[in-house]
Amino acid sequence: MSNEEKKFLSVNGLKKSFGSGETRQEVLKGLDFTVGKGEFCVLLGPSGSGKSTLLNILGGIDSADEGEISINGDKLAEMDEKSLTRYRRKHLGYVFQMYNLIPNLNVKENIETGAYLSDKPLDIDELLKILGLYEHRHKLPNQLSGGQQQRVSIGRAIVKNPDILLCDEPTGALDYKTSKEILQLIEDVNQKYGNTIIMVTHNEAIKQMADHIIKLRDGNIRHDNINKDKLTAAEIEW
Amino acid sequence: MKKKNISFGNRPKNPLRRRVLKDMLRDWKRYLMISLMLIVTIAFVSGMYVANNSMLNSINKGIEDLRREDGHFRLSKEADEAVIKAVEKGETADVPAFYREKAYKEAAAEVEKSVNEAVEKNVSEQVKEAIKAQVTAAVDEKTAAAKAMGADIPESERESMINSAFETAAAENYDKAYDEALKAARDSEDYKNAISEAMDEAKKEIDKEIDEKYDELSRRYGLDKKSEAVPVRVYPLHYKNAKEQLPARSNYSGTIRVYGQRSDIDLYDLLKGRSPENGNEIIIDRMHADNAKIKVGDTISVENADFEVVGLAAFTDYSSLFENNTDTMFDALTFDIGMTTDEGFQRIQANTCANYAFTYNNKPADKFEEKEMSESVLKALITQTAVSDTEDLEIKDYVPAYANQAMSFAENDIGKDKAMGEILLYILTAVLAFIFAVTISTTLEQEASVIGTLRASGYTRGELLRYYMSAPMLIVVIAAVIGNILGYTVFKNIVADMYYGSYSLPRFETIWTPEAFIRTTMIPIILMLIINVFIITKTLKLSPLRFLRHDLKQKKRKKAIRLPGWKFFRRFRMRVFLQNIPNYIMLFTGITFVMLLISMAVGMPETLSYYQDSLSDMTFADYNVILSSTEDDEGNTITTANKDAERFSVISLDRKSESYNEEVSVYGIFNGSRYVKLDNSDDSSVYVSKAYADKYNVHEGDTITLSEKYEHKEYNWNVCGIYDYTAGIAVFMNSGQFNDFFEKDEDYFSGYMSDTKISDISDKYIAKEITIKDMMKVSEQLDHSMGSYMTYFQYVCFIVAAIILYLLTKIIIEKNERSIAMTKILGYENGEIASIYLIPTAVVVFFSEFLAIYIGYKLMNFFWKLIMMKMSGWFAFIMPVSGFVKEFLLVFAAYLLITVLDFIRIRRIPKVLALKNME
Repeated sequence: MSNEEKKFLSVNGLKKSFGSGETRQEVLKGLDFTVGKGEFCVLLGPSGSGKSTLLNILGGIDSADEGEISINGDKLAEMDEKSLTRYRRKHLGYVFQMYNLIPNLNVKENIETGAYLSDKPLDIDELLKILGLYEHRHKLPNQLSGGQQQRVSIGRAIVKNPDILLCDEPTGALDYKTSKEILQLIEDVNQKYGNTIIMVTHNEAIKQMADHIIKLRDGNIRHDNINKDKLTAAEIEW
Repeated sequence: MKKKNISFGNRPKNPLRRRVLKDMLRDWKRYLMISLMLIVTIAFVSGMYVANNSMLNSINKGIEDLRREDGHFRLSKEADEAVIKAVEKGETADVPAFYREKAYKEAAAEVEKSVNEAVEKNVSEQVKEAIKAQVTAAVDEKTAAAKAMGADIPESERESMINSAFETAAAENYDKAYDEALKAARDSEDYKNAISEAMDEAKKEIDKEIDEKYDELSRRYGLDKKSEAVPVRVYPLHYKNAKEQLPARSNYSGTIRVYGQRSDIDLYDLLKGRSPENGNEIIIDRMHADNAKIKVGDTISVENADFEVVGLAAFTDYSSLFENNTDTMFDALTFDIGMTTDEGFQRIQANTCANYAFTYNNKPADKFEEKEMSESVLKALITQTAVSDTEDLEIKDYVPAYANQAMSFAENDIGKDKAMGEILLYILTAVLAFIFAVTISTTLEQEASVIGTLRASGYTRGELLRYYMSAPMLIVVIAAVIGNILGYTVFKNIVADMYYGSYSLPRFETIWTPEAFIRTTMIPIILMLIINVFIITKTLKLSPLRFLRHDLKQKKRKKAIRLPGWKFFRRFRMRVFLQNIPNYIMLFTGITFVMLLISMAVGMPETLSYYQDSLSDMTFADYNVILSSTEDDEGNTITTANKDAERFSVISLDRKSESYNEEVSVYGIFNGSRYVKLDNSDDSSVYVSKAYADKYNVHEGDTITLSEKYEHKEYNWNVCGIYDYTAGIAVFMNSGQFNDFFEKDEDYFSGYMSDTKISDISDKYIAKEITIKDMMKVSEQLDHSMGSYMTYFQYVCFIVAAIILYLLTKIIIEKNERSIAMTKILGYENGEIASIYLIPTAVVVFFSEFLAIYIGYKLMNFFWKLIMMKMSGWFAFIMPVSGFVKEFLLVFAAYLLITVLDFIRIRRIPKVLALKNME
């Protein structure tokens, strides 16, 4: 990995607070880190540690008070509203804990909502097969299980082949077995498509399958490690 | 990390577009209701446009094809050819010169006579004196000779001798001497000078008098203003007003205005049958025939003669059947127009009215020029009738085409209907657009997470705006297309039938009008677009994160409103109310709109019925007779033995304004009148009727200005009181004032008023009879034209109310579906849940109705006044308490119906909804 690829995403002095006056609460207190291209980075931390806020700022749907974020050389702070939308459209994919699927579009159509955003999307049928949803492609979301719905939301996020896949507690609402299936899927996607993945989780076990682990507590980075003993998703347990 | 064997596909079409149809199918009831309302309204307005434009086109075409007059005038008797020729040339006669010449001629004879008499007297005296002097000298000579001879001749004898000699000499010489002296005197310069001086004196007097009188006349008629001669062509178009009876229906009696054969001017469109071919045949107005149920082949009795109706026609100069141009409303029920052959015209034993139509040789460019030209023609007419050789030739009526209600009323009304329909369409579209916007806002709240995800994924606001705008735009476009197709086919005929039910219009040819398309398609689309874009954009402006957090409130309430320590259910309901305030505002707007419509639907028949029922109380006497002459053929004042009758004076003046000249009846009331009781007013103050005061917002102490109809003379009067008379626009004053203002004799009067019929005055002295029946014409005609539609309109309003309530209450329940599901899970019963979610809406509907009834009534009053300001006469918009109750019940009944549907909807909400993922 070249030096540039190692600093594919770089965060410098990032600060964010909510409220004002006496109720002002500093959520991020000056974060510095980099994420390499194609890395699977896990943001760990307890509730209120600022990991979701960090993810939202990285995804351009929230703004920092101070600091700089640079993704592949593009500085988010310099982008206006329109450029940010364009940036998200071109480079980012989002997966949330709640699947947020469109209820009256079927599986394939929901994935197409992601494909529409890209000039060169992935082959949807092949992706459906990878996601294990090919047989279910004509079903509506309410005919699917939670795991299947999360697969659809991952499919929607990666179909446009984004540079970065941002996952906010993607297994938070799922049972153990389904969570492992989803993690395996994310691992497969990372390996097959080479996207940089930043996943927010409070599940300590997930860090074992990550290339890069960043632990947050009270708005500060407690640990920023490269995982040299990486396990596969199938191997981890909790 | 290297990517492995990635296969790429093609960019798909926007899947959100596919979703639009699915959204519409999922919520088909809402979309169907909105579509139906829009389709019917657009169809009606489009039909109105097509029918109106086609009708107006045919009317305008008729002006040329059917050679419609540019005006007409009626004279007291047939004019001689010289007058007509002079009017045709547009020549304004030199009235002063005419009268001066006439007066000089009369004066010259008088002067000559006076001078001659004076000269004759003078000559006679002179001759007599000369003779006397001669005979006195002769007698004196004789007496002197006698005296010289010693005779004593006494003075008395001398006198006697002189007298005797004078008589002898005069008898012998006077005539000759007188003739010679008179001849000499007449030949003398003095005589000529005397004649000339006397004539000069007389001329001075004449000039002074004529100039004074003409100045007054000039001011009155505007004759002093120079205007170009307007050549016209005059066509005799005499008619007879006769009693129309139907042998087949003894209870019917009307008036028919029969013309002789029309061949050069004011032709007609024969809608059924054929033209009359002999003196026993007649064609009549199609509209009146429909109302009086007269068919081709029926016999009608015209005064004394029977005629077979051989055709039904629309006369180009009578698209509305106004008997007099000053009538408040046309009367197609008891007034008819007919045309027979000249032979048939002779058969009718009624007075011939010397009516003449005219056309301008050079057509005016616009209305302003037309007005100027008509004033020129009037000047020519006034002056030429004044100098006419025909004795007592007077102008009885002068009506230029632009001021002729019989020609313009239908045209104006058609235009006004179009404007009203258009406004209704826009209001309804705006209401529906708001309903759409509120629905979409609710959807945005429900789909906040999806929108947040899509926005986070890179969907732009524009893409989402276009998606959420698709359904309303699709609906309005579909409604516009279907509405316009229905408008051009079905509704066009419905509207045309409505007009044929009120007016005597010629056949029309449907013409395609881009205006209908633009106004019924483009404007609703633009309205829908603007309102929805405004409301949706306002929400979509929020950041993706706020959507993901379901945080869509524009203004955050810092603290929840604290409620008093009410019982739980009451507080729950109050929370539901507070949460839905924007929807309730929309509900209130919808109810107000419906109330305005219902106010018209209920108020119009109520107003007409009130007017008809109360007219006898509104008028001061049930029976008024205006006399054509107050003296009979023998010169005796016309009297009546009717003990209820009392004399009154009346004159018509105009209240002039930019938009409309209102005719005002000015009454002179005799002291001690039992019908009109006036308190003493000073010499310059008058009473105005309540109708006048209401229509023109006149109060005690104000000054009113009225003008003579065809003159430039104005009267300014101070208003000393409002007289409680609502049946007409009138001014009251005592007869003394009246005579002073209008320069009438002390014992002047115009007719009799009475509460009982006056039957002992010969018809030939009666110019006009005004009975309660005549006054009812307005309301009867309006009732006939619009009354029946209003009942249907009430049903339409009920349906509109139900649809609007359905759409808005649906939104409120949908917004609370998850909460309702949760309360079900908690164990609340359907009845309890319904009471929590439906009672706040019921209370809002209940109170909104009261407020909306008031606002609707006020708005209707405003619109009513606007309508009445363009018509002559006045009657106030009346809504009795029963009308308000009816309005309330109509909307509440619609709400109860919808409540049943809402209750069923609440029952159907599944409990699992509360536990499901939001999307």
